[in-house]
Amino acid sequence: MSEVRTVDRYLCELGGALRVRGAARRRFLRECHDHLADAAAERGEEEAVRAFGPAVELAAAFDAEVAARRGVRSTFLAVAGVLATGASTLALIHAASAGSTGPASWAIAFFVAAQVAAVAAGLALVQALVLRRSTMPAAQMLLLARRNACALVAAGVTMFSAGAALPGHGSAMRLVAGPALVCVALVAVLRARSLARRLDGSGAPAVRPPLDDLRRLVSLPVPALGSRRLLTVTTGVAAAAAFLRDRVEHGSLGEAFVVGGIEATAVVGCFLVLGPALGLWRRS
Amino acid sequence: MRADLLRGHLDGLLLAVLADAPGHGYELSQRLTQRSGGELGVHEGSLYPALHRLERSGFVESAWSAEGRRRRRIYRLTATGRRAVQESRREWRAFSTAVDRVLG
Repeated sequence: MSEVRTVDRYLCELGGALRVRGAARRRFLRECHDHLADAAAERGEEEAVRAFGPAVELAAAFDAEVAARRGVRSTFLAVAGVLATGASTLALIHAASAGSTGPASWAIAFFVAAQVAAVAAGLALVQALVLRRSTMPAAQMLLLARRNACALVAAGVTMFSAGAALPGHGSAMRLVAGPALVCVALVAVLRARSLARRLDGSGAPAVRPPLDDLRRLVSLPVPALGSRRLLTVTTGVAAAAAFLRDRVEHGSLGEAFVVGGIEATAVVGCFLVLGPALGLWRRS
Repeated sequence: MRADLLRGHLDGLLLAVLADAPGHGYELSQRLTQRSGGELGVHEGSLYPALHRLERSGFVESAWSAEGRRRRRIYRLTATGRRAVQESRREWRAFSTAVDRVLG
């Protein structure tokens, strides 16, 4: 009788220490229950529980595993949401009334938000691909959730600005598909973030250089750049690309310089404002 | 054996015992104990987070199976998992050879 109480007490302690809820928790506790039942039948419950290990340590390891799984899954969902919103935005642009034009501020918001969405989704995807086969500290999971959330919000802003800049009518199905997937992904991201926050009470921001992740992922000699050099290179490349695009679209040299300047300002501004949240640099 | 020596190798060990045949968690812990002569001293409960991690990585798949009157979660290697076992063995041999050379 006392042996039965030992296993039950252990499983109660394990259940109390677990922070994850739902199907994953039920499955884990079921597996632990089965294991302890087998072990107790062979060795007695005291020995079975001793060999199983401390409940608190086990619960922490399982919580971390579930949080990592949720983080990786929500990233794939977030990337799908960003891509779907991109497609919906293109459908919106093609459905715009002929000759309609909007304020330049909406056009700038559209281009900035689109680039933020693409960059944040890219950062999250590379991080998730690198970490998907390993353990993931809670601070890294929180960073992943921030990158995903930023990508999804920016994707929403992109579509909203496109709609505000170019009013028109289009297929409701095509226009709603992207934002609907973004909402689903946002729920998954918030769920992953909630669990990660419970695991990491400190909430200390993590820094994760994107080129390091890229090097690990593609096994190519990607150069290591500090945050300042990364900003310099990114700004230069983005400004040059904006300049060339404007020239190709028959803009004058002066207009192309202005477009390149706006792009450079936007990149620097976003890096300064969003960089700490996206783990690109840390405020001292 | 000290637990910190095992850190980082538990996944490889689990893949190796799963390469013999599919099994549930308790079976796998018994195989680990038998094949190591009981020297590893790994907590049996720590197999489950590791098994879930291997499943997330695509190395292992699992399903409930009725065994008599009880249901059990049976784990089996995937094709990716089989390749990972080979890779894990190669890495361990290279690592242990290097450590042997240093320790003598």
